[in-house]
Amino acid sequence: MPLVLKKSSSELLVPPNRHQMPPPAPFRWRSEKGALNVLGIAVFILALAVPFITASPYVISILTAGLIYVMLALGLNVVVGYAGLLDLGYVAFFAVGAYTSGILTTTFGFSMLEAVPVTIVVCIVAGIIIGGPTLRLRSDYLAIVTLGFGEIIRLTARNLEITGGATGISGIPSWSFFGWDMADGLVIAGIEFNGKILLYYFVALVVGLVGVGGISRLSRGKMGRAWKAVRDDEDAAEAMGINTYFTKITAYIIGAVWAGLAGQLMGTYLSAISPTSFTFLYSALILMAVVLGGMGSTPGVIIGALFVSLAPEFLREFAEWRYVLFGVLLVVTMIFRPQGIWPANAVFPWSPALAARRARRAKATEAPEGSAAGGPA
Amino acid sequence: MTQIILNGLFVGSFYALVALGYSMVYGVIKLLNFAHGDIYMLGAFVGLVILTAFPGLGAGATIPVLMLVLLISMLASGFVGVGIERVAYRPLRSAPRLAVLITAVGMSFTLEYGIRQIFGPSPQAYPLRVTGDPLPVFDAQLSSAQLVLMVVAALLMAGLGLYVDRTREGRAMRAIALDQRASTLMGIDVNRTISRVFFIGSALAGAGGVMAGAFYGSVDFLMGFTIGLKAFTAAVIGGIGSLYGAMIGGLILGLLESFGTTWVGGEWRDVFSFACLILFLTFRPTGVLGTRVVERM
Amino acid sequence: MEKRFGSFKRVGTIVVAAACMALTAGCSGGVAGGGNSDTGGALKFGMLAPFSGSESAFGEYMKNGATLAVDEINAAGGVNGQQIELIAEDEACDATTAVAGANKLVSQGVVASVGGYCSGATLPTLPIFLQAKIPMVIAAANSDDLVAAKQPNVFLVNGTGTQQAQAAVKFAEKSAAKSIYVIDEGDAYSTNLSKAFISQAKDAGLNVSGSTTVTPTDKDFSTDVDKMMKAGTDFVYYTGYYQAGSLVNHQAKAAGYKGIFLIGDGAVDAKFAEITGKGFTDNVYGTFTMTPDMLQDGGAWSAAYKDKFGTDPGPYALQSYNAVKVMAEGIKQAGSTDMDKVDAALHNLKDFSTASGSISFTEQGTLSDAKFVIVTIGPDGKFVLSDRLEG
Repeated sequence: MPLVLKKSSSELLVPPNRHQMPPPAPFRWRSEKGALNVLGIAVFILALAVPFITASPYVISILTAGLIYVMLALGLNVVVGYAGLLDLGYVAFFAVGAYTSGILTTTFGFSMLEAVPVTIVVCIVAGIIIGGPTLRLRSDYLAIVTLGFGEIIRLTARNLEITGGATGISGIPSWSFFGWDMADGLVIAGIEFNGKILLYYFVALVVGLVGVGGISRLSRGKMGRAWKAVRDDEDAAEAMGINTYFTKITAYIIGAVWAGLAGQLMGTYLSAISPTSFTFLYSALILMAVVLGGMGSTPGVIIGALFVSLAPEFLREFAEWRYVLFGVLLVVTMIFRPQGIWPANAVFPWSPALAARRARRAKATEAPEGSAAGGPA
Repeated sequence: MTQIILNGLFVGSFYALVALGYSMVYGVIKLLNFAHGDIYMLGAFVGLVILTAFPGLGAGATIPVLMLVLLISMLASGFVGVGIERVAYRPLRSAPRLAVLITAVGMSFTLEYGIRQIFGPSPQAYPLRVTGDPLPVFDAQLSSAQLVLMVVAALLMAGLGLYVDRTREGRAMRAIALDQRASTLMGIDVNRTISRVFFIGSALAGAGGVMAGAFYGSVDFLMGFTIGLKAFTAAVIGGIGSLYGAMIGGLILGLLESFGTTWVGGEWRDVFSFACLILFLTFRPTGVLGTRVVERM
Repeated sequence: MEKRFGSFKRVGTIVVAAACMALTAGCSGGVAGGGNSDTGGALKFGMLAPFSGSESAFGEYMKNGATLAVDEINAAGGVNGQQIELIAEDEACDATTAVAGANKLVSQGVVASVGGYCSGATLPTLPIFLQAKIPMVIAAANSDDLVAAKQPNVFLVNGTGTQQAQAAVKFAEKSAAKSIYVIDEGDAYSTNLSKAFISQAKDAGLNVSGSTTVTPTDKDFSTDVDKMMKAGTDFVYYTGYYQAGSLVNHQAKAAGYKGIFLIGDGAVDAKFAEITGKGFTDNVYGTFTMTPDMLQDGGAWSAAYKDKFGTDPGPYALQSYNAVKVMAEGIKQAGSTDMDKVDAALHNLKDFSTASGSISFTEQGTLSDAKFVIVTIGPDGKFVLSDRLEG
């Protein structure tokens, strides 16, 4: 036994009798994944094509904000969706990132690029400070503690001098790379891209590569499987040799860094930040994006984040009614699709995997009582 | 010092009234009912509508009229609570817990902004005001109105305690909190009992809303949001799911806030109370009464 | 299986093709296409105000005030022969919503911005309007940070915190305040005013015994009141809004406070007296900009407002009205909507007569005379002029 325990947890998760099982039709599985990849790339291309379709500052602006929400939701998805930690104060890290980069660039003359490593370090420290003592708590207590930390960060930012008090920080610069400032715009092949469109592209790139790419790699790796194991059954995971506390705090820190970077992007996008942008409502909205989209599912979370950030904009026409409609929409969506719009185990309707799942289910229900009880469980 | 404690206890008794509903619902179906604070707001507005419809009421004897309005508002908000559970939470009973949480947030939005559409965004002055001469208590003072409201709150909570501890229905609630499936097997009508829990919790919150309106004199559509967060905190301090824990938690939070204001200043008050909460939970992660499973309901 | 994979591939191809088609078809509006053409017709005035969230009460007032001005101007033939159309967008007192709203206004082709309520939400919209070459007359937001950016297109039609604090200090000196206590709500507007007041009061040799911040979403302020009473206060300056201010006043009076309760212009509203209750309105004063009632034309403006919207004008309704009037005058003087010309015209405004007296701007774009006066609660619960603070 001790010999087995020394093996890494990932090896332990592999069924020992794998070679005896029938080959699990690798091609079908690949095609499902391939379709997702094609779809992802298509969406990405579509996102890049938007400024060519309409350069309206409004559309670019809400899409940029929407993408920042996507980034936030992807980060929270690691914490809530993968590791199963209910975080009601996620906006705290968003604030930490926005304020750290804001102070560094306006007061200390850092460039945005130079501020990135500092933001990351500060967010890691914040993640350890907040997560360290609290991650041992039961989930509902964790919820209130994270909520409390969210409020503490916001109120501290509001009360301190260095964070600009209630007015916040204004005049946050845009990104510049080796002497070239994004706000100056760029002319490629006779087409002029202004600063806002460039920022949109930059955010799209960060979200696409770092956000979607990074997270899906992480979630499929050893760490990702450990997160899901802890989420599904903490005791069992511990018994399998996973250090649950370490696993949880890594998820928490990764989520924190993600939110911090999103905060830095938000700072540049808004050019000014104030404590009113970091209220509990935003934590609730991001959580809503994750749950609405489908916890643990990258495409789902993206859809959720876009819905949560863009729905109030589309409902602007209804002016005062929009929050009522938003509320009703949330209730109705959850009643008819509680697992989220695009759950983690979703497959395309035409996918062979779905057919296989249906067949399995049909078999299970058709099977007579006796044989089901007698068969291997 | 006495004044600070009295102020804290008074505010705390409102928190406790709302926290009770939070805790009861959590105990029975493990749902953080985010819309609960909005029921408090709704209760206050039901009272407002009654008082505006019968303008003669506010002029008469205040305390009996208040009791009457309180009763009607409690019934109304109780039924709204049951309705919300029926429409928004029951279909999701077997869904993931977080899905129901989102529904609750959605419900909260709907109630808040629905009321905003009807009554407008500015706060409404309450037609009925309970005021009273200050009574000296040691070196501090407490108005007679405050005393009456605290007594009403205490009576409501005591009544609830008796109901849950002594009656058949109360036993059914505790049974469901312990094990829903086993309660079904024992012949308990789970749906009906859960409806009852929602009715009682919402009625208490509605009572709190009317009392707040009558004492402070203004009601607005977001008043429930703030107190909802506070009540949630109070319920957790006391040990969420525990009835007496919620009462104690409410009082503790009220005291924390009034001492926080005095010691560290109003701008740091919430930082102070949340920091205390976090420290406290780090050392006692189940809240004041959270471990005593027998008392959970 | 080959076929199945093919179907996915085909879907991908279709999506990409659709994107490319949209790309070429929709070029006119994209980066590669031409610029936005002027739609002609009405002059569009954009207004950002809070229509959702905790500050949403003020959005209505602002929109009403602006609508009144727009209707008056249109009835009188418009500006340079063109009618004005008001487009109001929500800022929700939140930076993200405000930025989206500002961009939406720009996309809709507004020629002027006459809104702006929360300073924190208005700040990030400044560069957006500057880039789009749109002049701004900010109706309500009055933080000193707004002019600190030194944008040429920014004008504040509401007195700044510094200007209002001057009036409050004058009043405190006049009423021989011995121990002053300042209460704010922790937001940009009220802290700006309280800080300005504290520093000016200290310069004037007044005794500021303490200050605190209350949480405006609360209902119970008894502990704050207790602290204020223990400091031996005889003069309170409450710099926040009426929603919480009326409750603080009530609870202070109920606890036996007999001194002066001075409130900032955000709290001067008929609702203040209504909420604070009868018998609690003694010694309540407010620093407020001159309203039409105080001028020669009597209550004509307020009556017109009430006639149109059914309620008495709330805070910032008048400022929004003025903002529209000032902006229209600027465009009229400039003879076009070109930002630089309008800015120059606004700077050159000499005593332009508005509902609250004549207006002209300083170098920075603030009012040269903010005309703050002291008001008090009259017998019918409405605020009436108490002291012009002249001499």
